[in-house]
Amino acid sequence: MGSNTSRREFLSAGLSAGLALPVLSAASAMGQQPTGKAAASPVKLDYRTLGRTGLKVTTVGMGCMITSDPSVVTRAADLGINCFDTARGYQHGNNERMVGAALGAKRKQITLSTKSQASNKDELRKDLETSLRELNTDYIDVWYLHAKDNVADVTDELIEVQQLAKKQGKIRFAGVSTHKPQQMLPWMAQKGVFDVALTIYNFSMDASMDQAIEAAAKAGMGVVAMKVMAGGLRRMQPGDQALEKLKQPGAMLAALKWVISKPSVATTIPSMTDMDQLDENVQAMGTTLSAGDQKLLSAHLDAIRPLYCSMCGQCDGACQKGLPVANVLRFLTYADGYGQFALGRERFMELSAAHKAVRCGDCAECTVKCPHGVQVAGRMARAQELFA
Amino acid sequence: MKAAGLLPMILLTAGMARAQETLDCHFAPGWEAAGAIREYAADNLYDYKDGAADGYLSYGFARMRTIECKSGGDMLTIDVSEMTDADAAYGLFTANRDSRLPIAKIGMGGQIQAHSGIFAKGNYYVEIAEVAANPESDHSATMQAFTAGMQKRLEGGETAPEALEWFPKENLDSVRLVPESVLGLRLLKRGYVAKYKQGQAFVVQEATPQSAEEVLKKLREHFESVTPAQVGDEGFQAKAPYLDGICIFRKGRFVAGYANLPSAQEAISLAAKLAVMIP
Repeated sequence: MGSNTSRREFLSAGLSAGLALPVLSAASAMGQQPTGKAAASPVKLDYRTLGRTGLKVTTVGMGCMITSDPSVVTRAADLGINCFDTARGYQHGNNERMVGAALGAKRKQITLSTKSQASNKDELRKDLETSLRELNTDYIDVWYLHAKDNVADVTDELIEVQQLAKKQGKIRFAGVSTHKPQQMLPWMAQKGVFDVALTIYNFSMDASMDQAIEAAAKAGMGVVAMKVMAGGLRRMQPGDQALEKLKQPGAMLAALKWVISKPSVATTIPSMTDMDQLDENVQAMGTTLSAGDQKLLSAHLDAIRPLYCSMCGQCDGACQKGLPVANVLRFLTYADGYGQFALGRERFMELSAAHKAVRCGDCAECTVKCPHGVQVAGRMARAQELFA
Repeated sequence: MKAAGLLPMILLTAGMARAQETLDCHFAPGWEAAGAIREYAADNLYDYKDGAADGYLSYGFARMRTIECKSGGDMLTIDVSEMTDADAAYGLFTANRDSRLPIAKIGMGGQIQAHSGIFAKGNYYVEIAEVAANPESDHSATMQAFTAGMQKRLEGGETAPEALEWFPKENLDSVRLVPESVLGLRLLKRGYVAKYKQGQAFVVQEATPQSAEEVLKKLREHFESVTPAQVGDEGFQAKAPYLDGICIFRKGRFVAGYANLPSAQEAISLAAKLAVMIP
């Protein structure tokens, strides 16, 4: 099963990367940050360049999707956060209106992004005009084709509309948002027409995600991370013990710092609904991922480990029926962890007919044990139930 | 609508079996089903709604049933969300409605536009959204037909939550249910917020008068320069960044008040009127 990085090593790597942050802070001190009121912010601000756009964005941005009160948006901008994200579809358009009003006169100092989930050119054009009107702005800094998880969904006509809007000055940069970075980012990099990638990314994901993110950044795309807190664990519902654990003081901040510790990520857009959350999240700038943060995240991973295989390659024992256990668990993680059901099933269907026919429930006892506590037999049975 | 067909979980339950009968594409001539009915629960709503699922979950979501319909080059989707209670259903409606347009008498409340119709009835929140071949067309008559058809088939109360009646009507712009952090304050967990031409009012219901007392105590500590105000059972006034002049009071198990007014005195005056309305 190879020598894949273990989750703990993965977190350690994040810690090491985090040590590079003061360098970035130093860069901002050398005058790379935008000028204006942000310089007087009471919080330590860190900036990075959003890929080929050249925009200098704070490493902590603000996802406004579930923000109800405009004062939180206004205060975030007052504190110096300069990257705000919304979408045409959020709250049926009410969210764009709220964000536009809340940013008010600060608009010009802000990197403002919105998205359209339109599937044809006419709808897309209409969405852009509506977004401009609702956000009360002449231009959008980054305009994403929203929630595109299949290459086929990013049609030529959508790209044409996006590129035309760029030429017309209605948008400054073109992007795509995706929950399937492993599939979409390589294609986007190769396509060469997208300036920014908005992607799900957090500490719970396996190391292959890092590679996809790094490759996208190397290709010149600005990488914006969403679902940085627990998006990869989104099947956790309010009241879920694991989710409650993540809500413990410091855990969310640690998760945010983990993402920021990745140099390939330009900015993050955690959702914020209140001032307390805002105050906590801005602390992620100017600080590094500490050993304590690492512990918190490791503990959280322990809590979810019975469900999520981290592909550490340390499985104890072999399947009597020859099943590639780690691979099947990975396919299940695609579906259960990242919402990539199609990808998980596609990979499962590539197994041999004999392997696809195996039902783990038929074995009296599973001969494969996970040293980290993944309930192998149960998870394998779930994969077979879901995919076969 | 991405991934709509990826995980059509069959989770038939008694609660939704009745709703199943309501999902129909024949409410207007020329429309027919474009696929099977799909059902989503809280743990897989994300497969259908992506990040927007968080919005549904924050209000109190139980399950959703959905169907796609087509007529020529036009497509529409009917989403029927069963929420945990009528407050949650109405709350989600208030989050999604266009506050610049009036509320129509559809169930507890609804709105119809050229390519969409939404309403809440009982524990159900219904969204009908069309992707028209010609986005400039006006299909509000079709939306009206679908909305009326769905409204008739769904069971549930048609009376809006009584808290809406407590807010003074003069200069009232809109009322919505904020599912968490009212006024951007974590202490005010969930409640109705009424936006006025100037300022905003809110009402948060706590479980008991004692827990409401505790919230008010913490709020007093949260703000600087707090002075007592004779409103409700107990109250205070303050001036705060982003909230301007505020007056917050407790009446029984309710914590309520006014914010974003030019002066705390104005907030007190309006809060006193609100306090009278709260039972």
